Amino acid sequence: MARLAFFLAFCFLASGQVALTLVEKRCSGCHSGASPRGGLDVTTREGLLRGGSRGPAIRESKPDESLLYKAAAHLAEPHMPLGAPKMKDSELEALASWIKDGARFEREVKASAAAPHWAFQSPKRPAPPAANAAWARNPIDAFLGAELAKQKLAPVGEASKSTLVRRLYLDMVGVPPTPAELAAFVNDSSPNAYESAVGRLLDDPRHGERWGRHWMDIWRYSDWYGWRKANDVRFSHMFVWRWRDWIVESLNEDKGYDRMIVEMLAADEIAPEDPKTLRATGFLARQYHKYNRDGWLQDAVDHTAMGFLGVTVKCARCHDHKYDPFTQDEYYKFRAFFEPYEIRIDRVPGQTDTGKDGVSRVFDAEIDRATHSYIRGDTANPDRSRTLPPETPGSLGGALGKIEPSTLPVGAYYPDYRPFVREDLVTKAKADIERAETELRKLTESNAPTDKLVIAAKALAAVRAHLPSLQARIAADKAKYSDPPDPKYEELAAEARKKEREAGLLKADESVYRAMLDFNEARSKAKAGSVADEKDVSKAATRLTEAQTALTQSAESYSPLGKIYPDRTSGRRTALANWIASKGNPLTARVAVNHMWARHFGRPLVASVFDFGRNGKPPTHPELLDWLAVELMDSGWSMKHLHRLMVTSAAYRMKSSSGDANHPGAAADPENRYLWRMNSRRMEAEIVRDSILAVSGKLDRQMGGPEIDETKGFDVYRRSLYFRHSPDTQMEFLRTFDMASPSECYERNESVVPQQALALANSKLSRDLSKVLAARLSSEHKEPAAFARAAFETILGRSPSAKEMELAAKAQPENLVHVLFNHNDFITIR
Amino acid sequence: MGFTGLALGAMLHRDGVARAATAGWTPPDGKPHFAPKAKRVIWLFMIGGTSHMESFDPKPELNKYAGKKFVDTPHAGVLSNPLVKQNLREVIKGLHKTHQFIYPMQTGFSKRGKSGIEVSDWFPHVGECIDDISVVRSMWTTDNNHGAQIQFHTGRHSLEGHFPTIGSWVHYGLGSLNDNLPQFVVLGDIIDTCCGGVGAHGGSYLGPEHNGVQLAVDTKNPLPFAIPSTGPEDQKREFELLRELNGIAGAEYPDDPAMRARIKSYELAFRMQASVPEVMKFSTENDATRKLYGLDHDTTRPFGEICLAARRLAESGVRFVQVFHGQNGGAGKWDGHSNLKKTHTELCAQTDQPVAGLLKDLKQRGMLDDTLVVWCTEFGRTPGCQGTNGRDHHPYGFSVWMAGGGIKGGVTHGATDELGFHAVENRHYVTDVHATVLRQLGLDPRRLEVPGRKRLDIDFGAPIKEIVA
Repeated sequence: MARLAFFLAFCFLASGQVALTLVEKRCSGCHSGASPRGGLDVTTREGLLRGGSRGPAIRESKPDESLLYKAAAHLAEPHMPLGAPKMKDSELEALASWIKDGARFEREVKASAAAPHWAFQSPKRPAPPAANAAWARNPIDAFLGAELAKQKLAPVGEASKSTLVRRLYLDMVGVPPTPAELAAFVNDSSPNAYESAVGRLLDDPRHGERWGRHWMDIWRYSDWYGWRKANDVRFSHMFVWRWRDWIVESLNEDKGYDRMIVEMLAADEIAPEDPKTLRATGFLARQYHKYNRDGWLQDAVDHTAMGFLGVTVKCARCHDHKYDPFTQDEYYKFRAFFEPYEIRIDRVPGQTDTGKDGVSRVFDAEIDRATHSYIRGDTANPDRSRTLPPETPGSLGGALGKIEPSTLPVGAYYPDYRPFVREDLVTKAKADIERAETELRKLTESNAPTDKLVIAAKALAAVRAHLPSLQARIAADKAKYSDPPDPKYEELAAEARKKEREAGLLKADESVYRAMLDFNEARSKAKAGSVADEKDVSKAATRLTEAQTALTQSAESYSPLGKIYPDRTSGRRTALANWIASKGNPLTARVAVNHMWARHFGRPLVASVFDFGRNGKPPTHPELLDWLAVELMDSGWSMKHLHRLMVTSAAYRMKSSSGDANHPGAAADPENRYLWRMNSRRMEAEIVRDSILAVSGKLDRQMGGPEIDETKGFDVYRRSLYFRHSPDTQMEFLRTFDMASPSECYERNESVVPQQALALANSKLSRDLSKVLAARLSSEHKEPAAFARAAFETILGRSPSAKEMELAAKAQPENLVHVLFNHNDFITIR
Repeated sequence: MGFTGLALGAMLHRDGVARAATAGWTPPDGKPHFAPKAKRVIWLFMIGGTSHMESFDPKPELNKYAGKKFVDTPHAGVLSNPLVKQNLREVIKGLHKTHQFIYPMQTGFSKRGKSGIEVSDWFPHVGECIDDISVVRSMWTTDNNHGAQIQFHTGRHSLEGHFPTIGSWVHYGLGSLNDNLPQFVVLGDIIDTCCGGVGAHGGSYLGPEHNGVQLAVDTKNPLPFAIPSTGPEDQKREFELLRELNGIAGAEYPDDPAMRARIKSYELAFRMQASVPEVMKFSTENDATRKLYGLDHDTTRPFGEICLAARRLAESGVRFVQVFHGQNGGAGKWDGHSNLKKTHTELCAQTDQPVAGLLKDLKQRGMLDDTLVVWCTEFGRTPGCQGTNGRDHHPYGFSVWMAGGGIKGGVTHGATDELGFHAVENRHYVTDVHATVLRQLGLDPRRLEVPGRKRLDIDFGAPIKEIVA
């Protein structure tokens, strides 16, 4: 008996200890402290009894009625611990018997044994430490210097002026300095020579091209792809190049990063009548999948989350996230922001054919379109019992503003009503008449067969009638949309109807005649039993019937100049964009500065650049990251301000090599995690090609415009970011140098493969341009030594050493230039 | 960023140059996970969808009920079989309707070899090799359009996007057999942009260095940028000067591993530009070999040259040779919607002797033991008649075969139903073929995981154990 009592007491004690440990380790991370999640504090018995927003967490001695137990046992929503695997059965049993036995706190339960995840808390500006004052130039150095001191590492010295200015040019504008620019900087002994060079380069329009390409990686730029020969757009969209131009321009004018986000996600709502700003929504147009709406929205959700927020929500498509506090419902609530949107092409001035040019832009097609979660992520199995509203994940905090639908101005929902479209349509109608007149005249003069003359005459009559019809419809439209409404509208509408009918009859008359001829021709050509010929005949017959039907039908009203879209927009994406781009968002600024840092210093502060969640990597310099994030936000989200800070730091100006294999840093921190020296990097693919063109003096500086055929990279000397780039079509030369995967590229690869050597050694590009450059330099420098010096300075941005000079002066000019294009220092940013 | 993803892979590991990209995780070291049966793979892919009922899966019932509606035969059940729904993920709903009238086999079949396996009379030469072949007659896939082409290589439906392909996984997992040649090579005109384009031999998230390298059977320009842009002497001088200059500059950067890798890459490139054209030179091949591949006939020469090049690449140490046949600027030549008899006869005639030649040649050189040859296509064709003389796309059941590299010979595995409609016995999704290839190469796909990239069970597939010797 006594033994049994002892055993029971032991069991009780054991389960109590297990339960308390569970509460401490698995619950108190969120449910404790000054502002516990859901108002629930689990660290005291009173706290559990008082409970939170969902009511008491325990009911005395009744585990089955206790929310704590039910949530942990997945008997009630939300399943706890949030986003983590369910507790073991033995643990749940311990929890239950502990509650049953009175939920006694035999010992103190410490708060926050599992601290809230750093990245989901808003960054606060830390004070820069006072360390290494002699070295530090700005707060960046103070943070880095303090960490270096802690690691007992000393920063290496400053890079030579020539190395530094080449690094700066390649980083800021993506091409090396010219020898004149190099000399000007090296010889400028004024104290702020470097700072003024930085200022000049930030103002250089090439800066937007250089950094535009970086952000195109992150925002997964791709030109449209599908079946090219059939012009079948299956992914991304036509004219997304306009979004690329918007990126370049926005960076050049230092548009706030917050504003850029809002324009990309919601320009159609905040600037509905501004085509320049509407280009920004190419970000959403790029997510288009012709045949897979779910895939389309998945990409929109996943890449908005990874690109702007640095979180991988995609796991929660099928189940609650295993690492991060995102439930499956939250995934679909995030999707709900995008649910109403679709893409359309609006006309641009001077081109009425939207197959040739236009702006691909988003709009809300159906403002209340319902979002349902998919059971286990299976798109064939939606849970239609619930409609999920647009909401941001609770764990990321911040306040989502009110989602307010609004009414759009007429130019936004009826884009062809815009004055320039009306004018273009009239101009085109006039041109069509001239063309038809010329055609008829030519046929008459050349004694063409009667059939052709009849058709040409009918066609002319049709286009002649089209112009007054178009003008009457425009007049009626103007009356309809004028404010206050024009009383003459009914009268004008009747006139438009009449004119349109007249024009329609003539057009139909022409079509009937054409169809008849086609039908007769197809019939007479058709061979017995030929399937293809039969098809032609039946097509022609259908067209004929259609044309004849059109002749006999009367129109109810005149037709608009183009498609009329819904005049209401949901406001969902604006709310989402404002939430992402707000100072209260813990991730946005951190993720952006991390991307910028990675591209200046060759290594990010947070290694998992698109995953700041629990499964990501912690920052190497958390305080520096937060300081930079706050600095970005406080500067009005000015990226140029951040660029300036980063590149004017002492850290950025360091040498990229100790020059000594036995340097203490090499042993203590071979990965250069603490940045005791600068990192050298290989140029990105585009920079390799652009730099060859630039140093040869052949780079075509023209900016913007439609994507260029990717097979023309060796003949068209435009910058590389302007060439077609999609998963199906990429420039071979750029592919060889690890160009961005257009499907997803948050970070470039830096491989070294023999094919790169072949591309530099044997491509038409490097050979053609070494001839060009060798010829130019030879004409300026007759002496072999002078030539060699000029070649080094032009291509590598530095003078040759004595040893190098000795070898270089012996080489043929063209060979030397070609060799220097292949030199490791050429494609390396030192 | 940083110095990651070296495609010089194993070699630079050897030299202590490469280093891990992510703490706690290292890329594969280029060694197999267990003892391999095969060292290399030749992967023959017929673009457009070869009919299984006119190649390797004879169905006498088709002839018996020719012209009848399915519903009027004892096999009416095939149309209501739940597999019709389960197997199908359409890109365009309803584009490919069920064809109601049964279309008889367009060719005869004969028992071939000691095994007596029935092979289509359109494949007389491959029939001669049947005792070295395992035919798998129970394949299925989920796309009934030509996105099934990229799906056959990535294992994912095209609607899900691009993923690493089987060749890129092999390239990623295994080190080099010959440092002078690319290790993942593509021959023949590649899949069109309609159906995956370069994605069907792409490395996707494994990185561009794991993309298949396209080679042409052209001694003058077999590899992009492989022709020295100056005379050989000039180039030699240039490379020598380059080596010296890089060496001088490199002394300043003792802590830069990329520098050493770069210097090494030029040595490799120099050899590669010589080695690749050398492989494409057939002058050392005797007449008997040329005949074996059908180089003496116009019909068989184009694909014969590709198959011979495949053998020479395999022989020279290329790990994975992906060969395409049937590109036509669209869905592919094997896409026999109409005139199936005429088009399939022609296509079989183009490929039969070259493919058989490849098997025989590998065998006579003792290479078949450790070279795995895979013959495959994106799907089969419908038992029902399309139009008057064609067959439509058919993802529910089709055939592939494998030979060599530790695969049994003279074996058939799995079966479709009596009309060739559904794979009913030992069903295999396309990644089972991938799993079989990896297993023979000594690789466990689950150990090739990449951080942050969740793979599904269906991505890994399961090796087809029954055909492994």
